[in-house]
Amino acid sequence: MSDTDYVLSRVQEAFASAFDVDPKLVTMETSASDIPLWDSVGHLSLASSLEEAFGITLDVDELMEMENVREIVRIITPKLSEKV
Amino acid sequence: MFARLCASLLPSFPRKCKVTASAGWNFAGRLVKRLGPHSCFIDSATGHTIGPEELPRLIAAYGTSLISAGLRGGDRVLIGCDLSPSSALVYLGAIYAGLVAVPVDERALITSAPMLVEATSAKAAWSEAGWGREGTCKPSVICLEGDLARDSAGIIPPADCAASDLAALMATSGSTGVPRFVMVSHGNLIANTEAIVRSQSLAANERAMLILPMSYCFGASLMHTHLYQGGGVVFDHRFMFPDRVLRAVAQYGCTTFAGVPTVYNVLLRRSNIRRIQMPGLRRFLQAGGGLARERIIEMRELFPLVKFYVMYGQTEATARISCMDPDRWLEKPGSVGQPLDNLTISIVDEQGIAVQAGQVGQLLVKGPSICSGYFNDVEETRRVFCSGWLRTGDLARQDEDGFLWIEGRTGAFLKIRGLRVSLAEVESRVAAIPGVYECGACAVDHPEAGEALVLLIVPDQGARLTTEGIRHCLPAHWTLDSIRFVSELPKTSAGKVVRPALSVLAKDLHGTA
Repeated sequence: MSDTDYVLSRVQEAFASAFDVDPKLVTMETSASDIPLWDSVGHLSLASSLEEAFGITLDVDELMEMENVREIVRIITPKLSEKV
Repeated sequence: MFARLCASLLPSFPRKCKVTASAGWNFAGRLVKRLGPHSCFIDSATGHTIGPEELPRLIAAYGTSLISAGLRGGDRVLIGCDLSPSSALVYLGAIYAGLVAVPVDERALITSAPMLVEATSAKAAWSEAGWGREGTCKPSVICLEGDLARDSAGIIPPADCAASDLAALMATSGSTGVPRFVMVSHGNLIANTEAIVRSQSLAANERAMLILPMSYCFGASLMHTHLYQGGGVVFDHRFMFPDRVLRAVAQYGCTTFAGVPTVYNVLLRRSNIRRIQMPGLRRFLQAGGGLARERIIEMRELFPLVKFYVMYGQTEATARISCMDPDRWLEKPGSVGQPLDNLTISIVDEQGIAVQAGQVGQLLVKGPSICSGYFNDVEETRRVFCSGWLRTGDLARQDEDGFLWIEGRTGAFLKIRGLRVSLAEVESRVAAIPGVYECGACAVDHPEAGEALVLLIVPDQGARLTTEGIRHCLPAHWTLDSIRFVSELPKTSAGKVVRPALSVLAKDLHGTA
């Protein structure tokens, strides 16, 4: 499993936890318009789920960039290597 | 040309809005006349701007198109609202044409059109994005989409309406998840809009940043008041990324920003509000539930030159009921201010008798902005509206200076993300889950959702319940703080759950978690 696949699978779990959706439906192309509960409050729930799942902290500027799953994976991946 | 087109359209113009001695009450008609050089609609995400010359023409053109589509005065039009100028044009155009605007969330319209059509007996439904494959618009309903001005051949004048004629049906969150629709008249809108304008000293050159949906009375009233004074509205659906909205406030010179408690909590915790300069801003408006005093203090300290207005209202009262003078907030922190100047209030006990000054009781409100009732719901109308008085269901007291203090709810409700949820409904849903013997629910403050649920669950003997399992049985929009498994619930000798004791128990368990 590549790093990206690993991050994506954990991101899918975080989506399932934050929005109660089927993780298999979450793809790199998924954006807020695809998930009804992904609104301003949902965004914060998602951030908390991601922070918990990966043991990382997302700052305000990163939250502003998390427009879709691809962006989320892009933001999280380097944070994981920093942790190692 | 214009006169000829008007004349050609006039003979067939519907007269559901009757011509009476009080003709000229058409809210959107008045609003169009009051638009001025500062009036505009701006779509913040694209920068698309409708200027002061175009705006009145477009409102009238949208109204004309709705009539051309076959609608007649008094017909209800469902409008999918997605914080966009075009949905606002359909909304105002419908009212202008003497139709009844029913603004609802665009996503809700696409996914639940048949239910909404049935609940409102709507004759037409408009969606910005279009109905596409997913669209489930009934065949009997006129399905409209996109730009309505495109096909408009001419322009009709505003329909003549009496004050009591219906202008809009506004959804209010029924606790069961099915919306209830409040009947809002032209007179209600005019009275409330004018009173709000006075309470906020709105000038003629204001510009509002609108991030609240127009299907929510607070969002609609923000648009109404600013246009009514000759100002403009910037629409922004990007509050998910609050910095973009704050930058748009600065870029477009917005003078008013309005939000519910969640909005201010997000701004203070998850945005760069401390760094982004918004020099044109004159006021913050806050309503839709109580915002913690500490957050108000923080906002006031961050923006000493911007007035922070705390307000209170209900959809059943068109929008706003009271407004706190920002200059007196330090004197009365926690108060929701004084009733608007055209409203009378009364605070009564359980028997309906006025309580002594300063005592807590149910808040009743009377005045020209109190609506006539719920659409197609005689029973609930009778329960909530009585001889012109609105029973707010809120427990309040009024101090010696006339300031109102909201102390709780008569019914056991909580507000999650601004939506009213009945604790009894929660309890019965949870109790229906296999393995649950009984459940007591109560509310705790939540930084993002405003309030969240704490569930105290007594499991059946031998049942193996998990927090995750319970969570999956509940609607996703019910924000859960925590679930506790207990051996019994606090009850009276008559076996009734003691709600205050439930809250104490929840807090104790919370503290030891």
